[in-house]
Amino acid sequence: MIELINLSWIMALLAMVTIYFVPANTKASITKIAVFSNSIVTSYLAILALIGQTTNFIFAGGNLLGDVLIRIDGLSAWFILIINFTCITGVLYGSEYLKAYTNTAKKLNLHWILFVLFQLSMVWVCMIQHGLAFLIVWEIMSLSSVLLVIFDHNNPKIIKAGINYLIQMHLSIVFLTIGFIWLYFQTGSFSFEAFATYFATNSNVGLFIVFFVGFGLKAGFIPLHSGLLQGDPAAPSHIAGIMSGVLVKLGIYGIIRVASFLVNDYLLLGEIILTVSVLTGLFGILNAAVHRNLKKMLAYCTIENIGTIGVGIGIGLIGLGNNSPILYYLGFGGALMHVLNHSLLKSLLFFSAGSVSQHTNTSDMEKLGGLIKQMPRTGIVFLIAAIGICGLPPFNGFISEFLIYTGLIEGIKLSNSNEMILLSVSLAGMSVIGGLSILTFTKTFGTVFLGNARKTFIIEPKEVATKMLIPQYIIILMILSVALFPQFYLQLIGIVISSLSQTSISVLPVEFATYISILQHISMYSILFYCTVLFFWGIRALVLKEKTKVIDTTWQNGYSASTAKMQYTGKSFSKSLSKMFNFIVIERKHYEELKAGEIFPKTRKHASHYHDFFEFRFIHVITNQLIYAANYFKFFQNGRIQSYVLYGIVFILTIFILTVFNIAI
Amino acid sequence: MLSLLLIILAATFFTGIIIRTKSIASGRKGPGVFQPIKDVVRLFKKGSVFSETTSFVFQIAPTIYFASVFVAMLVIPFGQSKGLISFNGDFIFFAYILGIGKFFSIISAMDTGSSFEGMGASREALYSMFAEPAFFILMGSLALLTGYTSFQEIFSALHLGSSISYALAVMAAFVFLMIAMIENSRMPLDDPKTHLELTMVHEVMILDNSGFDLGLILTAGYLKFAIYGAIIFNLFSGTIAYEYAIPLFFVMQLFLAFVVGMIESFMARFRMNHNAQFIVVLSSVSLLIFFGALLVSGKFI
Repeated sequence: MIELINLSWIMALLAMVTIYFVPANTKASITKIAVFSNSIVTSYLAILALIGQTTNFIFAGGNLLGDVLIRIDGLSAWFILIINFTCITGVLYGSEYLKAYTNTAKKLNLHWILFVLFQLSMVWVCMIQHGLAFLIVWEIMSLSSVLLVIFDHNNPKIIKAGINYLIQMHLSIVFLTIGFIWLYFQTGSFSFEAFATYFATNSNVGLFIVFFVGFGLKAGFIPLHSGLLQGDPAAPSHIAGIMSGVLVKLGIYGIIRVASFLVNDYLLLGEIILTVSVLTGLFGILNAAVHRNLKKMLAYCTIENIGTIGVGIGIGLIGLGNNSPILYYLGFGGALMHVLNHSLLKSLLFFSAGSVSQHTNTSDMEKLGGLIKQMPRTGIVFLIAAIGICGLPPFNGFISEFLIYTGLIEGIKLSNSNEMILLSVSLAGMSVIGGLSILTFTKTFGTVFLGNARKTFIIEPKEVATKMLIPQYIIILMILSVALFPQFYLQLIGIVISSLSQTSISVLPVEFATYISILQHISMYSILFYCTVLFFWGIRALVLKEKTKVIDTTWQNGYSASTAKMQYTGKSFSKSLSKMFNFIVIERKHYEELKAGEIFPKTRKHASHYHDFFEFRFIHVITNQLIYAANYFKFFQNGRIQSYVLYGIVFILTIFILTVFNIAI
Repeated sequence: MLSLLLIILAATFFTGIIIRTKSIASGRKGPGVFQPIKDVVRLFKKGSVFSETTSFVFQIAPTIYFASVFVAMLVIPFGQSKGLISFNGDFIFFAYILGIGKFFSIISAMDTGSSFEGMGASREALYSMFAEPAFFILMGSLALLTGYTSFQEIFSALHLGSSISYALAVMAAFVFLMIAMIENSRMPLDDPKTHLELTMVHEVMILDNSGFDLGLILTAGYLKFAIYGAIIFNLFSGTIAYEYAIPLFFVMQLFLAFVVGMIESFMARFRMNHNAQFIVVLSSVSLLIFFGALLVSGKFI
């Protein structure tokens, strides 16, 4: 086994060197080979782990790291498979997406080299069971993702977003470092086993919260979500798809991994996670509903889905606290299932949205419209993904939503009235999230793909190349496989969760089998739904065959000169919602009022945009204060070399004096 | 299976009764009870007009909408007899399968590129979003009260414990009736007879549908009413024997149609921006039911 793993990373490194030297149009092919080979090796090990053959070996890390335990267990395997799948579709899509940049070899060099590194580090994050090594790989992963985001680094906006993202990701690392150092000083070991020793003797809350914050920054729980918002919209679409699809899930991986070592305080932590998650979900989808930038809306939607996953984790922990195995399995099962579903759906959404924005040069929904006529295949792909992500039945989103809903309802039957109230409020929250998702995605799909084009393009947008659609079709096949054979996936998840648990609940509860059969039923009913649609469609076709069919203009209420600009816009679609929740989705308008006596008004502009509640109300307030305070120390940076030399001398002198007199600060 | 038949039967007269009640209340004789069905049959015979703006979405949406209501109908039990689809948590499936129909009806309205239809679509999405928590809290509290999670088991176990559950059932009936009104865009929220596009909800969405498609949409609406009527009946039916239950079912459906007709005759519609508040009230009624369920099951300290 160890040879295989060594082979994979050595091959990846070789590929990274090769990419640098080959001509620009073959760089992507080398990347594909590297990503494929790495995926095959690690997926093989992951599948072995899922059928019960855990891979363990020690990687000698020298004096600094000591012995690094590499282990592929069920949980790692689940995430590794998801990462590999998304990276493969990502590289297939990305190689076509970046075709236009073949003349900028430098950019491509950096991009494809980092892509290989990115996948390698994501997979390794899931395998390493050693704190310090984990941090190193995590850092490599974060750095490579930042550099991938700023592919288009000539654009100052993207650089700014990239730096913002870089800082936020490092905040996450700060918390993780604090956590691991804390662990090290308490137990004397960087190994993940130290969690178990620490949690067995100390309070579980503090350390877990530190890790939750650290990993939550990656995953995007509120109020720590703003890094995600900066990164995803700025990145090229295939990177955005991978980041939204799997990178944020590694935060979830970390939370589940640390949670698996917990020994008590389950209830408190479960309640905290559940509350934060429901709020995250509501906040995310509410913002997604009002934003008009396609990619920003998708980034907010990711936040919503992280909330949904978090609800599952919360339910699972509450189940542990109540000694209810079925709740534990439903909660974590729902969470892991949603990790899979969301990675499929979100990468698909980003890929198809990327096709749109590449062919129209804009991500602003209000400038698009009627694209389904020019890009029918992309339109259908987006539609399928949109239905899936709303959690609606004939696709896979419903499977995980169903598990989480049943988890909540099973939870309501618990004995403690506090939890019951919390769970039923969460149930209401989840249903609002579901309803708002429908609003968000009908708005998006309707505005971008349906109706008339709102703007005439100089180059008429056309359907993307088949090569770009193939990875999307592959994802759709996966989506259908989850929708039609959910029992298979749930069984796998059962294995994952039972291998995860260190507590008494490592045996699959009996009820779990009933849920597997329920999912089987649901998939049958999905097929029934397809059949019903086909049946009525057939009848309709039969009936309409003999009937007259007239094509005419849309009903215009007697007005015959309506233009595409008079269509209902996305903004107006969500206007009443945003007005209702104007304390969360803060809208700011910039316009000039007509002055009294202004008889011949000139052309004027009206701009309106939505601010993120946490950025606007908290983060910006704090950073503005910081900048204000920092202004007082501006005189340090006066641009005179002499002063800078003086600072150096003062510093050296201070160190010298302190050492001479042996003063410790 | 039984429920399927009964719901289809009830759907044939439900809307007719509403219209008849409204006519009589306003001093007119009104059309026959089966007039809505005759209208639909007439529509099925007609040709169609499609907008040149629309795509395949507009063509397929009415079929999917109808199919979703049809599949949702299969979930509804009748007293002791299960629906064709019945499993633990089937009410989630019920809500979400209706959701897919809603999704398509909304995007089909957007597909016409009209300046009016998006407005109705946006309202439909917003109102049904607000109605969701009421439904889920209600079903969650019934699940808590009975300990079961499928429609049929919940309804048959509802009245075994205590007679207070009838009080809860009355509140639940109110919530379901209002959800039915929202789903069908009826009176306190939307006036189906209004002639001003700006104030329409459901009607404005289907302005461009004609012929067979319009017939499907109307039929789906009739079925939806009967579905919610059947749920409300189930709230009270408990374990009554079939020979009483079947007549009772029709009496109940007639009564509900009458109530809807009376509401529509004697109530003015709300102002558009008050609708959301009204729907949120439903969620608080559901919460009342939840606390009632906590009390009944003795879990409330």
